[in-house]
Amino acid sequence: MDSEIALLHNYLIVGAMLFGIGTVGFLSRRNMIVMFLSAEMMLQGVSLSLVAWSRFRNDFGGQMLVIFVIAVAACEAAIALALVVALFRRSGKLDVAVWQQLREENQPPFEEPELPEEPSEQPPAWPSLAPAGLLPEAPPEQTDYRSHV
Amino acid sequence: MFEMDILLVLIPALPLAAAVLTAALGKHLLRGQSHLPAVAAIALSCLASIMLVFQVQGEADRTAGDTERVGCERIVRLWTWAAVEEAYPQTQSPSDAPAETAARSLQIDVTLRADPLTAFMLATVTFISLLVAVYSIGYMRGDPGYWRFFAYISLFVFSMTMLVSASNFLLLYVFWEAVGLCSYLLIGFWYQKPEAAAAGKKAFLVNRVGDFGFALGVFLIWTTFGTLNFHDVKIIEQTVLVNEVPTPSTTLVPDRYVGDAKVLGQKPGVLGQTMLKGPGLYEDLYRGLYPDRWQWAATAVCLLLMLGACGKSAQFPLHVWLPDAMEGPTPVSALIHAATMVTAGVYMVARCVPLFIASEHALQVVAVIGCFTALLAALIALTQTDLKRILAYSTISQLGYMFLGLGAATLVGVTAGMFHLFTHAFFKALLFLGAGSVMHAMGGVIDVRRFGGLRRLLPWTYGTFLVGCLALAGFPLLAGFFSKDKILEAVHGQTGPLYQVLFWAAVSTAFLTAFYTFRAFFLTFHGEERIPPEAGHHAHESPPSMIGPLVILAAGSVVVGYFSQWIFAFLEQTPSLAYGGVPKEAPGGEHAAGGLVVGVSIAVVLAGIAAAWLLYVGRRALVEPLSRAMDSLRLYQLSHGKFFFDEIYGLLVVKPLEALAWLSYFVDRYLIDGLVDLCGLLPKLLGAMLRPLQNGLVQFYALAMVLGVLVLIGALLI
Repeated sequence: MDSEIALLHNYLIVGAMLFGIGTVGFLSRRNMIVMFLSAEMMLQGVSLSLVAWSRFRNDFGGQMLVIFVIAVAACEAAIALALVVALFRRSGKLDVAVWQQLREENQPPFEEPELPEEPSEQPPAWPSLAPAGLLPEAPPEQTDYRSHV
Repeated sequence: MFEMDILLVLIPALPLAAAVLTAALGKHLLRGQSHLPAVAAIALSCLASIMLVFQVQGEADRTAGDTERVGCERIVRLWTWAAVEEAYPQTQSPSDAPAETAARSLQIDVTLRADPLTAFMLATVTFISLLVAVYSIGYMRGDPGYWRFFAYISLFVFSMTMLVSASNFLLLYVFWEAVGLCSYLLIGFWYQKPEAAAAGKKAFLVNRVGDFGFALGVFLIWTTFGTLNFHDVKIIEQTVLVNEVPTPSTTLVPDRYVGDAKVLGQKPGVLGQTMLKGPGLYEDLYRGLYPDRWQWAATAVCLLLMLGACGKSAQFPLHVWLPDAMEGPTPVSALIHAATMVTAGVYMVARCVPLFIASEHALQVVAVIGCFTALLAALIALTQTDLKRILAYSTISQLGYMFLGLGAATLVGVTAGMFHLFTHAFFKALLFLGAGSVMHAMGGVIDVRRFGGLRRLLPWTYGTFLVGCLALAGFPLLAGFFSKDKILEAVHGQTGPLYQVLFWAAVSTAFLTAFYTFRAFFLTFHGEERIPPEAGHHAHESPPSMIGPLVILAAGSVVVGYFSQWIFAFLEQTPSLAYGGVPKEAPGGEHAAGGLVVGVSIAVVLAGIAAAWLLYVGRRALVEPLSRAMDSLRLYQLSHGKFFFDEIYGLLVVKPLEALAWLSYFVDRYLIDGLVDLCGLLPKLLGAMLRPLQNGLVQFYALAMVLGVLVLIGALLI
């Protein structure tokens, strides 16, 4: 049993080291490919500890999960590398800091438009009126319009 | 032959059905035929009303010798609208007797009543409405709102017939408001016209003032009398099902619904209580409770009701809305603002005369307000140049006459006031419809300075208008003469210096009335023929559907005066007037003065007409120096400016309220909106604070995530 625990310790230490190195690499490097590699390294560190625990607990669920993770990571790698290639084609550089501003140079910055003040109401021009009584002649588009009801 | 109950329900129900029908189908289906339901319903209502008059008369004849039941009163109870038990406060000696418990409950039934006063009003209203509706077919033809017009007119007839047949104050108030609403809708019928919209608003708002007084009056009636019914009710025992268990209960029903139920007691209505001779149930219950209150409550109730009547009947100080209401279509002016709705106030005061007599000074106030309004409006009418406005001021003046008649505080005064209402409905509707016919021919011009000598162009209008003018002026042997004369007699018969002053004021008003009526008449129809350019080449007499009502109304204006004896006898059978609460004659008044009154009245009328003829037909040269003399005395401006009531109210009421509105606007705009803007600003500021964190550096985000995870792990470990 002791040897099992020692074996688990070893694997967990290696997994933690992989994760730590990946983290530090991800935080400190600006090359997109290296950052991607670092992220993969973190992933593998976690996967390794999962496999180790699975072996220790004699439960194959962990190993299955790792196989899934590897499959997903493969897909993710395809997408990520495609993105890297696309970004590289646009700027000619692999530096991630190039993409600090997503707005392109020749575009004006977006500014929130100020809300307009209350609309000023121009009373419609009314036709001249008889002093009392009959409806004055007015075009229908004018009579249909009611600013207030 | 229909039962009286059925007739009474049919009279308002038919116009309501027509209103609903026209409103639902008018725009798309009926269109140019929208007048059919309205005219048919009003015609049937009119027929039913006339049948009701004869049935009421028959009923009254049957009970002629009966001392128990005076006159004819028929109550139709439709359903109970609201019932609150123990609504009235306990008396000094609380009792759980079922009769007393029931007496304290508030029960509002939808009840209609038929008595001579109601039947008389119903017949007047529906007959005039019918003629005006027929006239409107020609006058409103081609208007885009044709169906809307007839829907409103039907709704108005429904409201007005309900108003005069309601048998409790709350129902009266409801339909009081409903006719106000119809009036608003119809004044503002041409809502595209700013003047019409403003006039409708003004009428509605001025009426609110009066209605507020009326509402307070109704509240005070409840706290004073413990009931809102006009009629007396019996408290009977009945069995109701409570959770399917028969339980004895009490209810309040009019006498004729008692049947063989056990009567526990009775609860007299408001009018019954004011006429109670000995100490009855209510003497003990309520008068005993508040002995002092009884003294002032009657006066306060009457003054508040009179305020309501002033609003609806356009009496001083709330008369300012009626002239502006002439912005509505002319048939509306004829129907609502001359013949029917504005008489609601007169009707209400006549209905409540026993209440007014119970108070010492209320009827004197009524008489003074009426007489003052009559004189004031006549003075304003002297110099107006708008034909419809002249007629509007004469309406205010004649309504003042009616109130003066009611204020004479005698049976003959009250019936004379109501009779004047009846004759006035005829000749004023006639004059307005005639003015409408003139307008129709003149292409909408209504300024009497711009046309003249139309008697050859509009022969039918000329003839009927002349009859209307003579009747309005009170020319002998026409309708207006009989009714006005009766009012003058009633006022003259009343003792006291106040009534003598009122009498002479009323006589001078009669002179002014004759003068301004014929001023308008001569300016319109005599002199050289002048036609404004707006009339074009098609200045012509109106179509038959407009001339027909004019002729009928003219015939009515001539003959209805001769029914005065019958109408007086009919109205005197109204129970509330007949029970003896209203004195037949003024105590100690002189009765022999009839001849003098008639002589004076004929003399001033002839003088007025002669003066108008002299100035406007005979020697027009006299007008110029006279008006200059008046001008220099500023009297002309005073009259032409309508005594500047609009300006005074504008300064005293409108301007302060406008200032208040501005204040509210600024409080709303800058204080309330400021607070709201502040709430909106908080997230904005928060966002501005957090915005630098989003710097676009992937490493920075990753570091934030790692630190966050570390913090979480730290928190878990601790």
